[in-house]
Amino acid sequence: MTTVGTAVYFDGKTSARHDVRVEVTPAALRVLSPEGAVVAEWGYDEIEPLSSPDHVLRIGKRNNPSLERLEVHDPQLATAIDDLSVPVDRSGLTERRGRRKVIGWSIAATASLFMMAVFGVPEIANRLAPFMPYGFDRKLGEAVDAQVRGSLDPRGGGGEFECGNADAEKPGRAAFDKMVGQLARAAGLPFQLRVVVIRKSDANAFALPGGYIYVHQGLVQKSERPDELAGVIAHEIGHVANRDGTRSALQAAGLSFLFGMLLGDFVGGGAVILATNAILKNSYSRDVEADADAYAVKLMAKVGGDPRALGTILQRIVGTHSGVRILLDHPETKDRVTAINLMTPPGPVRPLLDPKEWAALRRVCGQ
Amino acid sequence: MTTLEATGAGGSVPAVAPRSGVVHFIGDVRAYWRLLIRGAALLMVTLGIYRFWLNTDIRRFLWSNTEVTGHTLEYTGTARELLLGFLIAIAILVPLNVAFFILMLVVGLAEFAGVLSFALLTLFGHFAIYRARRYRLTRTIYRGVRCHQTGSAARYAIYAMFWWTLNILSLGLMYPLMAAALERFKMRNTYFGNLGGRFEGSAGSLFVRGFLMWLVVIAPLVAGVMLSFTVIDWYAWLAAAKGGADAFENLDVHTLAGVVVLVAALFWPVIAALVLYPVFQAMIWRWWVSGLRFGEVSITSRLRTGQVYRIYLRFFGYVFAFSIVAGIMLSMLYGIVTGISTLFVKPTDSNADEVASIIGGVVALGSYVVMALGFSTIYQAVVRLGLWRLISESLDISNISALDHVSAAGIPSSAVGEGLADALNMGGL
Repeated sequence: MTTVGTAVYFDGKTSARHDVRVEVTPAALRVLSPEGAVVAEWGYDEIEPLSSPDHVLRIGKRNNPSLERLEVHDPQLATAIDDLSVPVDRSGLTERRGRRKVIGWSIAATASLFMMAVFGVPEIANRLAPFMPYGFDRKLGEAVDAQVRGSLDPRGGGGEFECGNADAEKPGRAAFDKMVGQLARAAGLPFQLRVVVIRKSDANAFALPGGYIYVHQGLVQKSERPDELAGVIAHEIGHVANRDGTRSALQAAGLSFLFGMLLGDFVGGGAVILATNAILKNSYSRDVEADADAYAVKLMAKVGGDPRALGTILQRIVGTHSGVRILLDHPETKDRVTAINLMTPPGPVRPLLDPKEWAALRRVCGQ
Repeated sequence: MTTLEATGAGGSVPAVAPRSGVVHFIGDVRAYWRLLIRGAALLMVTLGIYRFWLNTDIRRFLWSNTEVTGHTLEYTGTARELLLGFLIAIAILVPLNVAFFILMLVVGLAEFAGVLSFALLTLFGHFAIYRARRYRLTRTIYRGVRCHQTGSAARYAIYAMFWWTLNILSLGLMYPLMAAALERFKMRNTYFGNLGGRFEGSAGSLFVRGFLMWLVVIAPLVAGVMLSFTVIDWYAWLAAAKGGADAFENLDVHTLAGVVVLVAALFWPVIAALVLYPVFQAMIWRWWVSGLRFGEVSITSRLRTGQVYRIYLRFFGYVFAFSIVAGIMLSMLYGIVTGISTLFVKPTDSNADEVASIIGGVVALGSYVVMALGFSTIYQAVVRLGLWRLISESLDISNISALDHVSAAGIPSSAVGEGLADALNMGGL
């Protein structure tokens, strides 16, 4: 059975159009010039289907360095070629099967990456953080600090943004520095802490890698005893000492490599922004908070203060204020308070500041 | 009359007679919508991995449904090539990215990092754009003959950076010079087989046509800024801005008026540019097409500005309708999910807030993805396809018979450029 029809042939050497006769014989596809000379003869397995509009069958020869093309407009002829050639499949079945494989494996890869992001990245970050030199924390802290200041203090108030620089605020600053100094000496970190009070009204505090700790004015006002404030600062020192910021920056970097790259995102400075966001917004896990609490209890006990005061202020803040995110980004306040009380060693406590110093510290932001 | 004499035959074979106008788009728009919608859904579940296949499908569709003198174009690129190109680009860019980050931390270049990385990325981006163009050209086959592109992408990148800097410094006045220079560079390296291209569009004619538009967009900005600088009492203004609401009452009328003028002047170019964008686009396309030459072949365009406006109006109509429908459906979904969650977590439970915020976060993220993909699908189907169709069907080609006897030349290039452009978020079509 031989089907004969007409088609358009391009020889791949020039763009000249050749109107040809095509014979679909059982052995091979023969392309004949109008004079009857054989222009090309393709075995059916060598034929390669090529992209074309719906009403045209465009075929070439597989692994052919030249771009020979046969364009068949005649539906009967196209059907005859389709029937005989395995690679030519106008029903699209082969194509769909290949495509399903792609889709299936892409979804599998996505699922793997997602699991990696949720479980693998934090684990790797935890293992990696102890090996990072402290200089890394410091540099990272500096970079993030610039970003944080930019976002917290968009007007660039600088000195005015921090409390304790005006003359009326100096005694408060001295008392604050005394309290921080006691904690810092007891902590004995290999780098210097830099703790400041900033003019922000919500009751909050947060730590950046490398020893940057910001205490909001609102937290000072919410504290009723010096040890409450000291407890929160000790908790933040715990984050610094445990290098949680560095861990979370490593985590953010890992995530941005996983997803940012896959989604086609590549921004060098973006890593800093990501780290900033991660540190400001990313909720620390329950374990990280518990570790910082345990650290705070030990530190407070070491300086002779009341470790339970941390639990007291936690309860007060949660009870009155719902907008506290970073300090208290964890629902189980009750559990935390219980744990803090359990960890607290017995023994007498002595406030970190005397009443006069505490009264001065309360006015560190004026008023 | 175009191709029959090629073999000196054809008597027995009825040729496909070219209709009036030499370029036609013969694709089924509904099939294109189907392709895009299915692609968007798959992009979502594969977090974007499917894009290599979707982009290849899109190009195949556009190319093979564009008919020039009765013969359709052919796109021979494959998704596999794009994926490989992307992997190579990642292999190059990830170490660079890490090195840059570490360098920044160690040397402490945080202040310059933004500028430096922007400059580097732009340079890389232009390099990638040129290489990606090469990939696309060498995958474009017409009548069994390949297009190709020569020229160094690195030189192009430096050249492009130079012109873009001038253009930005001149507030866009240099745009015609830049466009003509870059297009000359690209076109003199562009070939259809052995038929070399070139670009003869003149910067002067574009300048003359576009200058009025530039004045409308930029002049109020410059005038407003200058005026406001002379009338605003900056010390008083800064003091007031720091002092809070009451302090504004003490400002004098000139300063307040100056501030209003300044704000208006800053907003004006954005609004004017949005409204005039279709005019600009139509002008640029007409100018670009009319400057294209391939040997003896020259092209002109009958594209009308009104047609471009209609495309954008349709786009906004679709976006509006989609936003309403998707908004209703997503909020219903949110309601249902929240409702189901209360079956498992009582509002009085201690972790109820946490569960609610997680659900809220997931729904918000999902909504963002759905909306973004929806808009981009509508854009592809209405604007991209619409412009492709309008522009190709508006073409008049003279000396078209020169296309009948072109000899094959050029070899396929790698897809690294496409990969780089993709990784840098600068991918085009």
